[in-house]
Amino acid sequence: MNSQPVQLWPLVVIAAVLASFILVGLINKSREGMEYGFRGRYIGRIGGGAAIASTWMSAASFLGIAGLLYLKGYLALAYVIGWTGGYVLLLVLLAGQLRRFGKHTAPDFVGDRYESSAARLISAVISIVISVIYCIAQFKGIGMLFAWLFAIDYTTGVTLGACAVVAYVAFSGMLGVSRNQQMQYFVLIVSFILPLMVLARKMGYFWVLPQFGYGEAMEELASDYGVKLAAPFASASLFQWWSLCFTLMVGTAGLPHVLSRFYVVPNIRDARWSLVWGLFFIALIYWSAPAYGVFMRLFELHAKSVPDPATARAIADMVVIDTAIKGGLPPWLIGVLAAGAISAAFFTVAGLLITGAASMSFDIYYRFLNRNATEERKMAIAKGSVVFLAAVVLMFALKPPGLIVEITAVAFALAGNTIFPAFVLGIWWGRANRQGAIAGMLTGFLITFAEPLFGGIVPVVAQIFPITSSAMFGAPLVIAVMIAVSLMTPPPSEEMRRFLAEEVHGHLD
Amino acid sequence: MERKDDIYTVNLFRPKKGYMRDEVVIILAILVGWVVVTFGFQLAIRLLCSSPQGCSLVTRFYFFNLPFHFWFTAQFLPLWFVILCLIFNVFVDRLTEHHSRRRDRTYE
Repeated sequence: MNSQPVQLWPLVVIAAVLASFILVGLINKSREGMEYGFRGRYIGRIGGGAAIASTWMSAASFLGIAGLLYLKGYLALAYVIGWTGGYVLLLVLLAGQLRRFGKHTAPDFVGDRYESSAARLISAVISIVISVIYCIAQFKGIGMLFAWLFAIDYTTGVTLGACAVVAYVAFSGMLGVSRNQQMQYFVLIVSFILPLMVLARKMGYFWVLPQFGYGEAMEELASDYGVKLAAPFASASLFQWWSLCFTLMVGTAGLPHVLSRFYVVPNIRDARWSLVWGLFFIALIYWSAPAYGVFMRLFELHAKSVPDPATARAIADMVVIDTAIKGGLPPWLIGVLAAGAISAAFFTVAGLLITGAASMSFDIYYRFLNRNATEERKMAIAKGSVVFLAAVVLMFALKPPGLIVEITAVAFALAGNTIFPAFVLGIWWGRANRQGAIAGMLTGFLITFAEPLFGGIVPVVAQIFPITSSAMFGAPLVIAVMIAVSLMTPPPSEEMRRFLAEEVHGHLD
Repeated sequence: MERKDDIYTVNLFRPKKGYMRDEVVIILAILVGWVVVTFGFQLAIRLLCSSPQGCSLVTRFYFFNLPFHFWFTAQFLPLWFVILCLIFNVFVDRLTEHHSRRRDRTYE
């Protein structure tokens, strides 16, 4: 990698894209202030969908899925299905009711629903841990991209990338840039699909819809080279596929940064419909992502330079960019693709760091350590927390423990084992109480990390609760614990039960 | 079992009559469609396949240039989820209008 020169054109494109986000944000901000008043403008169902999709798109979607498909074939589809199917759960079980409950964050909901500051604290800590794990995966993506861009080693790349992302968050915050998520989604989808269309065209496949065109490439792989990427359960058993898929689905419903997106539109009906649009926009990327992995395999075989498994694993997360390079795309187009990947990772990190820092300042510092804190003090704590969280993430990202998607899956497993049961029972079972919620969330936390904690002592634990897919048995077990503990302890207050029955379930949209 | 505070009972499997019961029926129907098609299809290919590498029926049959099972999982299932969400929203919209016409006019 180090022999390559600095990627000048991609750097220029990336800088231009990031700068244009700030510029448009500034223009929007002044316009909103003048024309639309304090609340901002109404963005509609499609706009709300784009906001959901752009919040969701991260380095895992952009770089990770193609990389895993390149490595493991059919197993990667468990991610595609998990990350789209989770929205069905979210919509039918939680979206409307959570919105009627009226809380924007997981700690707020858990604290209010279970009437307990201890439960609030636990869910705040869990949300922060989820954000940190999620960010580690993003940092790995940013680090690899920076290493390639500046022709430096990964350690320097990830450190530089961390500084860049914190600087970007601070700079945008200082200028008060409003995020334009519709533009963000548009940039992401174009930068992902345009290079793919050009690639498919160059290779002589059906390029108008490369989502279908890559089928021919798969056929060529299978018939000419005997590489059967489509072979189901070649690299994972049915159980492993199921449990990974299920874990990602329940995790989707419990992720801290998705919840607040229901509040960008004015009523529940629009929130429900914008979620459908969001799912469609997300699916657009996932329909295309496997193509990059397939093309990469084909390029390697054409060039007769197939890397050994260890090297393949090391480069897997850069497969999207490498495919564009090997396919001979012009440097500016590679730059567009890299700009999409960098913005996806940057905005995800920015969103998670800001939510995590706000949670540290409000849910932990203000609620538990200093009830008399002034606004300035809370603000200073929040700013400090951004830097602190980024430093923690960087520490882990220096030696990334796995592929981008694997790290991300751990965050989903934690969300699925803790937040998801607390949400579902909190909404759908009036009897669930604070003791149940606390016991359940603590159990879920232990289960998520059961493989590294107890897997060495009791090998069966590692099979039942594998680190990336522990929620298959974890989530039902946590729900059982919550029910059992709740039934053994007194029910929640009559006030809360009446609120649930009359406001959350009795009310109309 | 009948207690004074039972009027405030919220339970997914014992919904109150009216709006909530109708809503729960739709939710459970969508969830069945979600589980069966997603997890059932994977089970089906596992059962149909003699070995994980060389499969029978499902992998030899091509659809949109892709082996059928790959097309189904990679392309149809995300679409199926969009369809499920659409159906859910259309029904809940109707339900909301129906119940609000009958009970009150807070909806609008």
